[in-house]
Amino acid sequence: MYQGYCGQVLRVNLSRGEIKKEELPLEFIRNYLGGRGFNMKRLYDEVSPEVKPLDPENKLFIGVGPLTGTLFPGGARVNFSAKSPQTGILGDSNTGGFFGPELKFAGFDQVIIEGKAESPVYLYIKDEGAEIRPADHLWGKDTFTTQEEIIAESRDKRTQVACIGPASENGVKYSGIFCNHVRAAARTGMGLVMASKNLKAVAVRGTQKLGADDPTRFLRIIDRLDRKIRKHSEYEVRCRLGTTKLIKSLNEAGCLATRHFQTGRFAHAEQVSGEYLEENYKLKSKGCFSCIIPCSRFFEIDKGEHRGLKSEGPEFEGLAGFSSRVGVKSIEDSLKAVDLCNRNGLDVISTSECISFAMELYELGILDKKDTDGIDLCWGNSGAVFSLIEKIVNRQGFGDILADGVLPAARKIGRGSEKYAMQVKGLEIFQADPRGIKGYALGVAVATRGGDHLRREPWFEFTEDAEEGRRRFGVPESAFRLEYKGKGRVVKYYEERCVLSDCMEVCKNTVVNMEILSSSEAAELLHALSGIEFSTEDIDRACERIFNLERAYIVREGIRRQDDTLPERFLKEPLPAECGESAGSIVELEPMLDEYYQAHGWDLDTGIPTSEKLEFLGLGEIAAEFRERGILKE
Amino acid sequence: MYDLRIEVEEVKGFCDLPMKKGDYFEIKGGRIMIPEGKYICLWALQSMMPVFPAKQRKIDEENDWIPHTKRFCCPDPNGMVIFRIDQINPDTGRTVVEDEKQVVPPRIIVEEDLCTGCRACETVCSFTHSENFNGEEARIQIEKIEEEGRDIPHICRQCGNAPCVKVCPAGALSRDPETNAVLVNQELCTGCQRCAGACSFDAIHFHQEIGLPLICDLCEGEIECINRCPVDAIKFGTAEKLKEL
Repeated sequence: MYQGYCGQVLRVNLSRGEIKKEELPLEFIRNYLGGRGFNMKRLYDEVSPEVKPLDPENKLFIGVGPLTGTLFPGGARVNFSAKSPQTGILGDSNTGGFFGPELKFAGFDQVIIEGKAESPVYLYIKDEGAEIRPADHLWGKDTFTTQEEIIAESRDKRTQVACIGPASENGVKYSGIFCNHVRAAARTGMGLVMASKNLKAVAVRGTQKLGADDPTRFLRIIDRLDRKIRKHSEYEVRCRLGTTKLIKSLNEAGCLATRHFQTGRFAHAEQVSGEYLEENYKLKSKGCFSCIIPCSRFFEIDKGEHRGLKSEGPEFEGLAGFSSRVGVKSIEDSLKAVDLCNRNGLDVISTSECISFAMELYELGILDKKDTDGIDLCWGNSGAVFSLIEKIVNRQGFGDILADGVLPAARKIGRGSEKYAMQVKGLEIFQADPRGIKGYALGVAVATRGGDHLRREPWFEFTEDAEEGRRRFGVPESAFRLEYKGKGRVVKYYEERCVLSDCMEVCKNTVVNMEILSSSEAAELLHALSGIEFSTEDIDRACERIFNLERAYIVREGIRRQDDTLPERFLKEPLPAECGESAGSIVELEPMLDEYYQAHGWDLDTGIPTSEKLEFLGLGEIAAEFRERGILKE
Repeated sequence: MYDLRIEVEEVKGFCDLPMKKGDYFEIKGGRIMIPEGKYICLWALQSMMPVFPAKQRKIDEENDWIPHTKRFCCPDPNGMVIFRIDQINPDTGRTVVEDEKQVVPPRIIVEEDLCTGCRACETVCSFTHSENFNGEEARIQIEKIEEEGRDIPHICRQCGNAPCVKVCPAGALSRDPETNAVLVNQELCTGCQRCAGACSFDAIHFHQEIGLPLICDLCEGEIECINRCPVDAIKFGTAEKLKEL
């Protein structure tokens, strides 16, 4: 028997009220590693193109990995996956906090939720058992209250809750799943999938033993990794500022999303920066489960309009989304907007895109006060931001249009607004301007879950080490953010690193951005943990397999090369002169795409993985299915 | 009975009397002796006065703080004049050096305000003691109150007069003579949980399956939770020594 994995899956059918336990075969573990890999395999096998995202036939997969709940620093993660109601393709979102480890301690590697309950329910999992409990009394309550009430009901403070807020219940497409108040699996509308199943929350409590096959060896490797992390040049700043450090650094680089990507420099960046937050509002550092990098923070506003607002957070995406992206120069207003999103269960990236999109249309005269329920949507109007968040949550008036996401909103508004929708495949993009970071730009264009940056994080392009660029990726330019050459290979490499991170279910801060875990170390660690032999090649092959499986999933849903693109602005409009080194830059997407497909061994014209590639990765069944469906030629 | 010598060790703030470093006075029997031409600050004197008779006597009570107390601070918050009280043997006129056993024992010190709530301490404690990653078996537990952003470490502080040891009806708890850690005799423990009820720090946790109290044993040598804490919210030592660090 292996350790580290629980070896069990919980399958719950809400329509029939059935709860089953299934064994996790060793072959499944070897091929799909954990967390995201497990979820993607299930999604491919169990949610076909015929299923619509809000059908009871769509399924929600909750996956944890071998390192979740262990001593690995930041072994805190969990993936929530389903077909996305926001994009119609692959839906997947990952969060930290304490929910994932608790699920592991309760004895499960994965939970699969099928069907739809007749009335609101929540799932309560305790030590290898589970029950479906009524949640009528929780429906309509915000994410914080819901979590607190379920914890109180369980009479155990260590109960962990993943829940949805009013935004999901009201049908907002970009609503997420929230744990530990603010830890959000917010992307791709996984909250709405829960709401469509009448599932308000999943609560879990686990007191079971989770061990290692070779504890001494496992501890020794962890000690070594701990030392590597503590010595890393990024360690100190990540402890102090976490991701909020990016406001200042991206602004300096001239690629901080400002006023809906009209420019890359925000004149008030200093006042909304992570440094400013630390100095004026931070009470202390906060960390996810078992992490030695406490990159989060607890803050309090002690005077002014938002006096008494206290919370953990925010991350860079929320802080920039409600400051530079919408032109708001008061950090307190940004903190308030992020708090509103958290409590109501909204994704901060998509919400800030929808609002900044509306603001740009308002500036251009495409929208006026008649369209916006009388709200003055000029840049920096915090009051307008708060009102729109509320209208989106409740799908009232103009908020109802924005609640479907930026692409459907643009289609509804028309009048040439579509080109201003900053999204890819229906998912709104992040707070960095792709024109100043070409590797990220390519990544956002090709991401398997739509406009997303967390499926690769090609940080190497910031290193400016030409020699390393040549050594690692064969092209000196690959080490420079404004160059496009070599980025296809860089992106492929980091995609597979992210798969590793998401399958082990650990934080990308360490595995991807600090690169502290090589494939051979991962194999060594997994062996010490589980007793299952993995070679370095097994790990690399599995990561590539899982990534190709994701690509195959979206190809089966109809995605092709022409969908791997970026909003027109990034391809045609150079960054303005004020953007320093990034000034004049656009994204040279096509040559990067060629190189990227080549690196993957996919068809250049279509972006479809070739039969040979699929066979090589042990995905022959998919190749056969593709031939049957006419996606691949006989 | 000892005589006492009270000397200004340091002026951290500003004293406009002024009291200066090295100024001193002595207590011999029932008299206060001030060197000729010198003076003593009335405010500092009145704040220290009650402790002089106690410092003049030899106290054998274990865990008493008075024998270990040497420094007093002038009550003026701007002054911060630190006075050191030394006991003098009246027969030899020499300063009494504290004997080894009277030195304050080091203990676990918790700074709750620093705790990030990550529970890395729980995980490493549980894993190194029981090869279980689940903090259920940890001898330190973090209570998290998300709405307040509070994270409260519950761990044994090696209290002087440990109420857990005193309350145990089975005599299952004792003190390690070397480290002062509270030790559990598993054979004798009946699982009545009275020790947990008696603990002022909520530091004793009963594992639901094992049914035995989990109490910090200070590890053997390196204390694992302290090593892993990224923000030094848990420390081992004496408050005075840690301040010097």
